[in-house]
Amino acid sequence: MSRDHTARPEKWLLDTARGVRGELVRAVGWAFAAGLMIVLQARLLALACHRVVIENATLDAVLPQAGAVAALAAVRGLLVFFSERRAAAAAARVKEGVRSHLYRKLQALGPAGRAGEETGPLVEAVTAGVEGLEPYVARFLPHLALAAVLPPTALFFVFPVEWRAGLVLLFSAPFIPLLMVLIGSGSESLNRRQWGRLSRMAGHLLDLVQGLPDLKIFGAVRREAEAVARVCEEYRQGTMAVLRVAFLSAFTLEFFATVGTAVVAVIVGFRLLGGGLALADGLFVLLLAPEFYLPLRTLGLSYHARMQGTAAAERIVPLLSLPEPEGYGGTQPVPAGPPAIRFEGVTFRYGGERGGVGGIALELPAGSLTALAGESGTGKSTLVRLLVGLARPEAGRITVNGADLADLDPVAWRERLAWVPQSPFFFKGTIRENLSLGRPAAHGVEIRAALEAAAADAFVDRLPQGLDTELGDQGAGLSGGELRRLALARAFLRDASLVVLDEPTAGLDPENERLVGEALERLAAGRTMLVISHREETIRRAARVAVMAGGRLERVVAPAEFLAAVAGGAGA
Amino acid sequence: MRELISMLVVSRRQWPWMAAGILLGVVVIAANTALMALSGWFIASMAVAGVTAVPFNYFFPAAAIRALAILRTVGRYAERLVTHEAAFRILADLRVWLFRRLEPLAPAGLERYAGGDVAGRLRADVDALESLYLRIVAPLVTGAAAIVLAVLVAARWSMPAALALFAFLLVAGVVLPHWARHLAQGPGRRSAELSGELRTAVTEGIQGAEELILLGAAEHQAARVDHLSSRLVAEQERLAAIGGFTLAGGVACGGLGVAAVLAAGSVSVAAGVVSGPSLVMLVLFAAAAFEAAGGMPAALQLVPSTREAVRRIRELADAPVPVPDPPAPEQLPAGTGIAFRNVSSAYDPALPVLHGFSLEVPAGEKVALAGPSGVGKSTVAEILLRFRGYAGSVTIGGVEISRLAADELRGLIAAVPQRPHLFTATIRENIMVGNPAAGDVALRRALEDACLAAWVDDLPLGLDTPVGEGGSAVSGGEARRIALARALLKDAPILVLDEPTEGLDAATERGVVARLAARTEGKTVLVITHRPACFALADRVVRMGKIE
Repeated sequence: MSRDHTARPEKWLLDTARGVRGELVRAVGWAFAAGLMIVLQARLLALACHRVVIENATLDAVLPQAGAVAALAAVRGLLVFFSERRAAAAAARVKEGVRSHLYRKLQALGPAGRAGEETGPLVEAVTAGVEGLEPYVARFLPHLALAAVLPPTALFFVFPVEWRAGLVLLFSAPFIPLLMVLIGSGSESLNRRQWGRLSRMAGHLLDLVQGLPDLKIFGAVRREAEAVARVCEEYRQGTMAVLRVAFLSAFTLEFFATVGTAVVAVIVGFRLLGGGLALADGLFVLLLAPEFYLPLRTLGLSYHARMQGTAAAERIVPLLSLPEPEGYGGTQPVPAGPPAIRFEGVTFRYGGERGGVGGIALELPAGSLTALAGESGTGKSTLVRLLVGLARPEAGRITVNGADLADLDPVAWRERLAWVPQSPFFFKGTIRENLSLGRPAAHGVEIRAALEAAAADAFVDRLPQGLDTELGDQGAGLSGGELRRLALARAFLRDASLVVLDEPTAGLDPENERLVGEALERLAAGRTMLVISHREETIRRAARVAVMAGGRLERVVAPAEFLAAVAGGAGA
Repeated sequence: MRELISMLVVSRRQWPWMAAGILLGVVVIAANTALMALSGWFIASMAVAGVTAVPFNYFFPAAAIRALAILRTVGRYAERLVTHEAAFRILADLRVWLFRRLEPLAPAGLERYAGGDVAGRLRADVDALESLYLRIVAPLVTGAAAIVLAVLVAARWSMPAALALFAFLLVAGVVLPHWARHLAQGPGRRSAELSGELRTAVTEGIQGAEELILLGAAEHQAARVDHLSSRLVAEQERLAAIGGFTLAGGVACGGLGVAAVLAAGSVSVAAGVVSGPSLVMLVLFAAAAFEAAGGMPAALQLVPSTREAVRRIRELADAPVPVPDPPAPEQLPAGTGIAFRNVSSAYDPALPVLHGFSLEVPAGEKVALAGPSGVGKSTVAEILLRFRGYAGSVTIGGVEISRLAADELRGLIAAVPQRPHLFTATIRENIMVGNPAAGDVALRRALEDACLAAWVDDLPLGLDTPVGEGGSAVSGGEARRIALARALLKDAPILVLDEPTEGLDAATERGVVARLAARTEGKTVLVITHRPACFALADRVVRMGKIE
């Protein structure tokens, strides 16, 4: 069971890496060539030592060898550089590709399709999570290939010279991966739990920093500082418990490599004492022994790189395989002019989990302004999301001038819509860029007219840089009322025939509420409009009020009747 | 480097762990170098003995080789455990230090680092600090110590060989990495900036996904993300190339160093200063000594980005405290009457938020403060809570609040701030922040007075329902009522409520106002609101006008 679970992300990683196979093969090829240089270098060094020690040669006799060793070193450096470049390029291509794919997927899913995930962790997955793939592609995979080819190459040179030493190397090698697997599989599950704990620890500190004013109001700062220390302490203890086991695999590796080298040294020593071996050959074997183990040790150390990669993949793969929301795929053109909308027995239950709406029958006559009222959680937002096509009814249908919304071309439908949610989206950029987001071709005069219609021209003019003022994080720098009016200006600019607004005046003072209300009225002219609102100021401007309760449409009444009912206390 | 050390000073009580980790690192390198050198000497001596038939006592070297092999492997395991232990202890100290440093700054001092930015920045920067000891300081100090040690040992046998070794170790361990570090500065800085921009663009795109789709701008945003991602990856490739260059340089230096030691050593052998086996020993010693320099390039490469993280954290943590406590605070007054006299306050001296504001709230009176947004209503609450400085006079019970210890002053006040924060915890834990000692009866009463009881009872998990990150799993109105319950649970004599009914529908609002009116009987209350329904809570409504 758990085996399947761990095998899949790794399989995905390998499939993804297949796309950069060319780069990886080159990276391994250069590194292999660098490995051959080591063998040559060892041969030359051993020969030079032999000359000096046994044949009592002088400097002149060994200088050519020393020079050749130096030259080989330079060549080897160059080969290593080439290999590193290729490995980095492979990782870079993988990161670009996966990030683009993942981001587009998450954006297309929208909040409803993200299986209830918060924004923060998703952003984390797209940014830092994708970075986690780098060590896997750039290190683990090349090291894996090198561990397969370099040790046999070393053996190939050792065996003809001193087969006993060759046997020692050959038989010590299989123990290394075996023991590593035994120890590694035990620590893997611990390790995974640790990754989760790490992100919780980081989140905990940020949460407290963001809530500092509240903690100060309630005198809870000292208590929470202790909690920070405690969480860190738990993390340290947990991680150290994992590491004590995880480091054992590196320990095993090093133990075999070191003891193996020592045994080779002793065997070679006694063969030399017996006179059965020349110093040049014996030294050559001794110099190759560590190089035989080195790729295996490097692979052992890149175990962490593999963990990082699989952890990243475990995060990314489920996101990539989230089901795409069932959108619309019709082809019919959208009728011109303000549309007449009909909800016919529309039901949507978020897969039966919570909330939603059921059996909605509602008519929005062409060019009318309808207010949608009801307590929070009664399905108003769901109804709106169905209307704009972000969700598709599970039962019933929505018609536009008599045509089923499902048959209409969704892109053309969206072009006819303007939607202003409760907290409108503003990206980091100038006011002008944000306004023309829905209509990139808009020119100055049109933007000006839209600002005036939304009563946003006055405050924009007051800003030192006017339309070129940068909106910071989430539009920081402007008040809620001002941002709301900018969003309305964007809706004006869009020149849509159906406008949907979600609580456009919530949280505004009477002055701003009046300005927004008047802008709404201007916007409503010649358009079909649906406004979610509880505010008298807005409701009074509507032709009719649709009241929702418990996911059902309770009644449709005139504004005066609705307001009288609220004032009389029957609104609940 | 100085900045980095200054960060470690924060955690100076972990010195023993840090020192032990570095010492073990040196021991491991020494053991490995000695192992290779001894093996070389041993087999060369055996070869000489084989050729000349002069007896050679091989028992000692053979035993020493085994001992060194064990010392090396066990030492390495211990080194890893100790350095990681040190790193986690340091990280814990740093986090607690940072939290304590940020505490006096909030909220006014943190405002400049707007909302999401402070969070993202802190997370990434604190994570970067994780590498400070483990990947920078420890490898650098260990490497430097091992290089010096190796050269001193080599000098005992052959001065020319030692000098040759020193030169190449210096190039591999210090010169090359410094050069690389210099090269990496630009790409390092740019990649930090780009990853910040990428994070912002991704956050915007994911948060605003539905709107982007409906605006037909989804592809535009995706292309922006792709573009930033490609630029970031290109800078990272540049950094990797510099890393590869250092690695390659180190490899080349290793070979060159060994060749130089071979040449210099053979001169000494010819001169009869050094024996043949000792030359082999020196050559293998030199080859192994380069392991000492091996960790230094990677460590130095991390320096620029970590220094940048430290600089940002310092900038945040060393900012002046916006509202310092008086050196000798006065005693808390017995009365709870509040008086503002001719009070002014400004976020930015050029744009006063509050100017010549006066207001009297006698003990036990309830006052609603009304007026359009941007007129400074919330600033009044923030001044009272000592979150913001002021000019003029503000007294509680006749005592100037700037002469009181802020913590003690806040002990008198329970507040619902303009934007209350819900912690990533359960509803219960969030409410209990108000008073951790409160019993079930008090908690139930707070729930009922905030009109939350029915809603909570309907939840399958009840009070143990998590509210999500920053309260994302509850609606805005629910979040505000949870904050209200939190304030009510504190049961302080003064209550400051900033828009307590924001986001509530009319019926719930009426319910909350009615319960609050009963609950706050006898308390001094300041309600900041623009909603007429809240006026029912007050004995008196004060309207604030725009500053001219």
